[in-house]
Amino acid sequence: MHPVRLAVLTVVCLLLSGLAGAAAYFFPVVVAGVGQTGQTVVVPPSSTGRVSPTPSAPPGAPFTVLLLGSDDDSKFQADHVLTQSMIQVRVEPATKHVTMLSIPRDLWVPLSTGGSAKIDAAYSYGGAAAAIATVERNFHVHIDEYAWIGLKGLIRMIDELGGVDVIVTNPVLDDFYPDDIDVTYLYGYKRVAILPGPQHLDGSHALQYVRSRHDDIQGDFGRSQRQQQVLLALKSKAATLNAANLPDIVNALKGEFKTSMGLDRVRSLLGVASTFDIAKVRQIVLLPPTYTSYGQISGQSVILPHWAQILPLVKANFP
Amino acid sequence: MIVRRIATILFVPLMLAFGSGVYLYLGTLKSKTVKERVQLPTVTKPSFTLPGTMFLAQGGRLFKLKNGSFTEIGPSGDWSMPTLTPDHTRLIAILTGKQSSDLYLLDLNGHVIKRLTKNDAKIIDANHWTFYPRVTPDGTSVMYSYDSPKFGFRVDFAIWSMPLDGTQSQARRRTDPYWYTGGDISPIALPGSAIIYVKHSIDQTGVHSQIWYQERSGAIGHGMTALTDDCGAPALSPDRTQIAMICSAGKQSAKLEVAPLTGTTLGPARVLLSGGLYAAPAWSPDGKALAYFAPTGAAGHFQLWYLALPAPAPALSPSASSSATALAGATPAVRASPSPAPTPPVPIQVTQGVDLSATSPPAWF
Repeated sequence: MHPVRLAVLTVVCLLLSGLAGAAAYFFPVVVAGVGQTGQTVVVPPSSTGRVSPTPSAPPGAPFTVLLLGSDDDSKFQADHVLTQSMIQVRVEPATKHVTMLSIPRDLWVPLSTGGSAKIDAAYSYGGAAAAIATVERNFHVHIDEYAWIGLKGLIRMIDELGGVDVIVTNPVLDDFYPDDIDVTYLYGYKRVAILPGPQHLDGSHALQYVRSRHDDIQGDFGRSQRQQQVLLALKSKAATLNAANLPDIVNALKGEFKTSMGLDRVRSLLGVASTFDIAKVRQIVLLPPTYTSYGQISGQSVILPHWAQILPLVKANFP
Repeated sequence: MIVRRIATILFVPLMLAFGSGVYLYLGTLKSKTVKERVQLPTVTKPSFTLPGTMFLAQGGRLFKLKNGSFTEIGPSGDWSMPTLTPDHTRLIAILTGKQSSDLYLLDLNGHVIKRLTKNDAKIIDANHWTFYPRVTPDGTSVMYSYDSPKFGFRVDFAIWSMPLDGTQSQARRRTDPYWYTGGDISPIALPGSAIIYVKHSIDQTGVHSQIWYQERSGAIGHGMTALTDDCGAPALSPDRTQIAMICSAGKQSAKLEVAPLTGTTLGPARVLLSGGLYAAPAWSPDGKALAYFAPTGAAGHFQLWYLALPAPAPALSPSASSSATALAGATPAVRASPSPAPTPPVPIQVTQGVDLSATSPPAWF
């Protein structure tokens, strides 16, 4: 064989084998990219025509993501879960500003699928599309993307990131914390105690921290604040990741994560996460009595929205 | 033809090796700081020899740090919060079970002398938590946080005390916590009947923590720090003239502060370190230094740090902190008047690669 041909053949073979090695490494990312990102959501048009669904914001433009966190255990049919956590996040890549607004899970609103109920039911009736449409119509905002994560996914992701560091303000004690992760009987309870002070939380303790609400004087509002706190701690951890970490993250989230964002948007979001200043993050919780109040409807304890106060706040922060 | 066959035979393993090499190489590019492997303190060598003896916890195991080396003490289980009797001959520590936690009296080698409380029960909400034990200066009683009384969803700590040589039935509650806040924790018994502890309460912005003074059992007492300063983890100096504490002002970064204890109040606090996650300060036996926990790097595992206190008390220069910043990722600062600063406090990292329990204050004598 001619030496030149041999050399060319060698280079081509090495390139091919190198590509194959890289492809094998990133295979889980590709599979997740196909299966879990870029989820198509058809948001039903509003009967009032107030909010019309539009395509995703162009690259570099501000965009709003609806973060959804759910029970995803066997208590529910697949994709008919309640959303225990709903957080609107507006990201402004140019100014590196981020605004987070937690929507109380018990907020009593008209659902996009018809009738009125607690807003956490929107996802269970119509998936992400119904959750987005319900938020858009009630809050008069446009949601560009959504991301849904299950409880186990959150635990595994935090563990994959090596835990999160938080300052716990006060003891979080709960005698009726749902004991529904990796157990056969899904309706049991257990006691949890997260002690105050700066600390390093692994996935299961971080979940207890963001999920417990029974002994919190602010109930779901206190929990919302803790969820935002852990989200920011996660951001700090994510800032240290690189592309080589993605397969492990994707494996951790297998079946526990869905998003409408494509890989490009996910990548740009990670880029923003590594550069924005936590001090510039605006955190909003719709605390009573200004923005909400407690009420009873059909025997259910609910949160009643004060739209006259909420809508100007939302308009100012989610233009 | 033969050459081609030879080339094929040679190329296949070469390609397999190269492809595998690329796969493995990509794995080495992962951020190492995210998931740092944690070591047991006993396999590490502290970079600084602390004076005296310290007891601390990691992952439910108790360790003794003496003469620059760690020794594991105590039986297996989820142990934390070791504290010493005033004569330094015994320890009290917490053993946490699945749904409850209890006080145990141990010798200094970690052997159980006596179980002091029994808080486990078959019915889930009949279980109780006990944390933050502290022995009174006369050595007769132990103060602790105990989640009783409780009802339904309401589970809050109150400060309780019981005779060290008595039984749990002799325990008495001394504080009345604010409901649904988590309650009262971290008692420190002063000579006589007074205690200092951390009280949690709420205003329009959320739940706050305050260092609180209570003259006698059942008294309402008063705050020693401002509500919005969010101070906790108090540690009393050996001569009982100063309190070290961690304050966060509701933010996700903390300050290590020291304030003079003047009767029933605290004087102006000096901020020794700010801008980090500082936890569980403890005074050195001679009262001239503090130890505390703080994470290093992105992994977030808490390490032990040593901070010699500047003397005399007031005035540190915020600008004279660059060496400390480089060393600890911290920002030494002052709250008192910025007059000439003799020596800025320079934290020394004592441990590396361990993951100490930041909510478990160490005992040091």
